[in-house]
Amino acid sequence: MLKDIDEMLLTSEKKRENLIPILQRIQQRHAYLSPDAMKLVALHLGISSSEVYGVATFYNQFRFHPPGKHQIKVCLGTACHVVGGDIILENFERKLGIKDGETTPDREFSIERVACVGCCALAPVAVVDDVVQACMAPSKVEGILLGFDIERERDEREKQESEASQ
Amino acid sequence: MIKVNVDGRAIEVGEGQSLLAVCLQQGIFIPHLCFLEGMPESPASCRLCFVDIQGEPAPVASCKVPPWDGMVVRTDTERVRRLQKSALRLLLSVHHVDCRNCPSNKKCVLQDLAKFLGVPLKSKKLEHLQREIGVELDHPLFQFVPERCVLCEKCIAVCRQHNDFSLLTFAKRGFNTVVTCFEKDPDRLPCSDCRACVEICPVSAIFLKNEAAEACLDQPPPFPDSP
Amino acid sequence: MKQANSDVLERFRTLIRQARQTVQESKEPGKPHIYIGMATCGLAAGATETKQAFEETLAERGIEARIIPVGCIGHCYGEPLVVIENPGFPAICYHKVTAGKAGALVRAFLEEGDPLFEYVLGALEENDLIPTVMDFPRFNLERRVVMADCGALDPENIDQYLAGGGYESLLKALEMTPEEVIQEIIDSGLRGRGGAGFPTGRKWQAARSADGSRKTVICNADEGDPGAYMDRTILESNPHQLLEGLAVCAYAVEAENAVIYVRAEYPLAVKMIRRAIDQAGQAGLLGAHILGTRFSLSVSVFEGSGAFVCGEETALIQSLEGKRGMPQHRPPYPVHKGLWQQPTVINNVKTLSSVPTIVKKGAAWYRQIGTQSSPGTAIFSVVGKVVHPGLVEIPMGTTLGRLIFEICGGIPNRKKFKAVQIGGPSGGCLPESFMDTPVDFDSLTQAGAMMGSGGMVVMDEDSCLVNVARFFIDFTQNESCGKCTFCRIGTRHILNILERITKGEGKEGDLETLRELSQDIKTASLCGLGKTAPNPILTSLEYFREEYQAHIREKRCPAMMCRALTAFYIDLDKCARGCDACVGSCPVDAIFTTKGRKKAIDQELCVKCGECMVACPTEYDAVGKVSPSELAPVIERPQEKAS
Ligand SMILES: Cc1cc2nc3c(=O)[nH]c(=O)nc-3n(C[C@H](O)[C@H](O)[C@H](O)COP(=O)(O)O)c2cc1C
Ligand code: SF4
Ligand code: SF4
Ligand code: FES
Ligand code: FES
Repeated sequence: MLKDIDEMLLTSEKKRENLIPILQRIQQRHAYLSPDAMKLVALHLGISSSEVYGVATFYNQFRFHPPGKHQIKVCLGTACHVVGGDIILENFERKLGIKDGETTPDREFSIERVACVGCCALAPVAVVDDVVQACMAPSKVEGILLGFDIERERDEREKQESEASQ
Repeated sequence: MIKVNVDGRAIEVGEGQSLLAVCLQQGIFIPHLCFLEGMPESPASCRLCFVDIQGEPAPVASCKVPPWDGMVVRTDTERVRRLQKSALRLLLSVHHVDCRNCPSNKKCVLQDLAKFLGVPLKSKKLEHLQREIGVELDHPLFQFVPERCVLCEKCIAVCRQHNDFSLLTFAKRGFNTVVTCFEKDPDRLPCSDCRACVEICPVSAIFLKNEAAEACLDQPPPFPDSP
Repeated sequence: MKQANSDVLERFRTLIRQARQTVQESKEPGKPHIYIGMATCGLAAGATETKQAFEETLAERGIEARIIPVGCIGHCYGEPLVVIENPGFPAICYHKVTAGKAGALVRAFLEEGDPLFEYVLGALEENDLIPTVMDFPRFNLERRVVMADCGALDPENIDQYLAGGGYESLLKALEMTPEEVIQEIIDSGLRGRGGAGFPTGRKWQAARSADGSRKTVICNADEGDPGAYMDRTILESNPHQLLEGLAVCAYAVEAENAVIYVRAEYPLAVKMIRRAIDQAGQAGLLGAHILGTRFSLSVSVFEGSGAFVCGEETALIQSLEGKRGMPQHRPPYPVHKGLWQQPTVINNVKTLSSVPTIVKKGAAWYRQIGTQSSPGTAIFSVVGKVVHPGLVEIPMGTTLGRLIFEICGGIPNRKKFKAVQIGGPSGGCLPESFMDTPVDFDSLTQAGAMMGSGGMVVMDEDSCLVNVARFFIDFTQNESCGKCTFCRIGTRHILNILERITKGEGKEGDLETLRELSQDIKTASLCGLGKTAPNPILTSLEYFREEYQAHIREKRCPAMMCRALTAFYIDLDKCARGCDACVGSCPVDAIFTTKGRKKAIDQELCVKCGECMVACPTEYDAVGKVSPSELAPVIERPQEKAS
């Protein structure tokens, strides 16, 4: 990972104003910002690593821990709030046993709250692995998670079968 | 020469200074926290230095106003005091008031302001709020008590002045903003010769660690949302 | 100095000719054309599946037709929206076109010539067969200036924009002196659509006359209001119009750099605007020596990283410089000292997108629309409890009542209107008595709300104003940058108090503290975020004080929205024994069987999600809701038998 970041940094100009775009690119590739990554960026731009850390923690976008395999974002924007977006969030939290901003111990799921994804007319809305799920309801929460369970079971079964057939 | 009138007193001032700086030099006290003598820009974040200027609809932060000729200023109107008291009450509502165990006791700016404005240190008007700190300033030489910090930014400013770039930084945002230092490598820290932040901090939120505390030098860096 | 000469004109004419030709060639006369709205909201409603269904059915039936993805027209209630041009018929707009309907449309309409009236929203042109969309208030009371072409163009195709008269205003501007351009904008009375309504022409003039060698124009597309999405729609649906406005502005203030600051949460918008910049560059309409003149403009895109406060201009600049997005004291204003301490114009997406039309049709034309002090149109994203939510562009001065009840169809389910929150988290909450208030910058500010972002949330009798006020302050205190005392700590106190109140733990005196704190925060905060954050509290306290008092004194939420103060129960007289519909719907298994196989709710377990109320068949309608929660009948849950 660090080697990859090193290479990435080679292609970006050593200008302070590139700090946020660089952090965005690192996160895009590696899903989060590790302390070492931030130190590398600081070294590259010739600023203190504190400053990089200070900037990164200011913005909602940046994560400092690897997220789960499936990312669940529940909209708590105005329109979604009025029709019970918090109930949807709670349902995800209860089913997965984690709070928003956390990741399940098996690193399968993480939950985040977001503010308006721009589909207010279809509220409440959740974004599951970048697919917008319109008109959410607690039963739909169950459906989505069940879908993942089935997928996982199928994958495991296929894996076993392919192992068995070898 | 620019002539201004403050609380009925005529003052002559030169250019290039803020109204707050001018008043302080003339012995006219205006409550303030984030203004730092000799720094180019005040962050204007503490919101204590309000004054009423004739012609302005609302009180203005004097640390950001250059005096102009003929300016008429009052530093003690009712609405100015109301805002100052409110700001101080807010600051105290998140401050760990424990004067007896604080190195700043008796030379503390909060104590002074409270006395000046007549605000009790432990006000019943507002609940005491606890911040989620989560980040520790884990520094080889200094100890940091975020519950004391008033986020005046002075430590960051002097650090930048002494070392060209700042080793201290604000981290996180909003209510949970804290001062921290991300660099843990003693070789990259010029702190042992500097200590400017310790000297400037008005509330002893940063102070020198005693020897015994140095044992915890090689702990892993803490993170804001670590589980 | 004017920049255009005959060479420039010739170049531009060639460009237009080529574009027209390409567009002409891409149309295949005699073949049906299917336009599908594929902006974010369309995609969420399933436009991808719709498109796929069209493709598959067309292939299966061997029909040749062209499918053209377009942007969003703002009628979000009807997504996925599809327009079909079938030779021999007027262009017809269909709403809620699911994959199934798409297949049916191909078979019935394209194959058999039956336009399937039951799916039609309206025709787009006058005809004898089908009523046009203009018969609906949602269409005919609107006045589209900025969004005129949204949803009619393929945003990824510059030729379509050019063929429709695009970039003519840039050419016209280049034929004028920068001063003349600025004068035109001043004359038009255009005011900034980013919230505060500052006169755009005066801003440009100040930047033009300010000293500086590296002036910059910034387009503020950081739309952070959690309920407004018109800027995103414009970027996704008509990016070239914005680029043209940006170029006119840069020409007028003599800037050679422009930055578009877009939220990273808008990936589609980022993609569209990037593509548009590339295409305009290739056509010689951006970049070095635009159309062969001496005017050059390089445009870049900066993705904001999720901080509402970065919509504030000084914070935005900090963020562009790679710092924490903390607002700075003004003055100096950005027009004097902005990005890199150089004069900088910051304008909202809608402001810049209005510019091409103004330049093209003239200031006098623009002044005809709207009111004396606020000319032009306003765009609102109306959401919440209305029949036709979505984006609405209306002339300034339209009354609130007309907007909510006529254009957006009023409140669904025969509920009563209660309040409307205008201007997002920094706006205010207005009750029914304000329905005659005209929508313009000054009237709204006077009423205690503000134009703000243009977010508008309509609330009916089931919405609790205390809860909504808590929601907004929760948002703003979360987004406070933390720099200044009042906003950082004050909003947190307000949130705490409101949280207590919505939980039934309010105290006498709370309302007084709320009001005082709100006023102090409003006067003493450093930037616009703090200065406006208390607006929802102050207005709701003024107009809905009884509602606060019911929460505090009676522990009752009149709208039954605050969950801690309400309870669900099952009316045993109405419950049909053994229907069991509710049992499975409960996510926490709080519903149990009591005497006579009837159902009851275990209040200890219930999380008050309301699913059972939805699940209970309407003919029984046995699930009820009460506040305060003690009023719910208590039914003991029988001990589970050991199985
Ligand atoms: C907290 C806050 C958030 C803001 N958010 C936005 C925004 O999302 N988009 C915007 O155009 N202006 C926003 N503004 C207003 C900008 O500071 C600025 O006034 C505006 O971009 C100027 O453009 P205009 O003259 O075209 O209105 C915001 C202001 C504040 C105080
Ligand atoms: S640590 Fe001290 S100097 Fe630094 S911001 Fe806090 S109170 Fe100010
Ligand atoms: S008002 Fe709020 S957002 Fe604005 S500078 Fe102060 S703390 Fe930051
Ligand atoms: S509020 Fe949830 S999508 Fe807009
Ligand atoms: S001294 Fe002026 S705001 Fe702090």
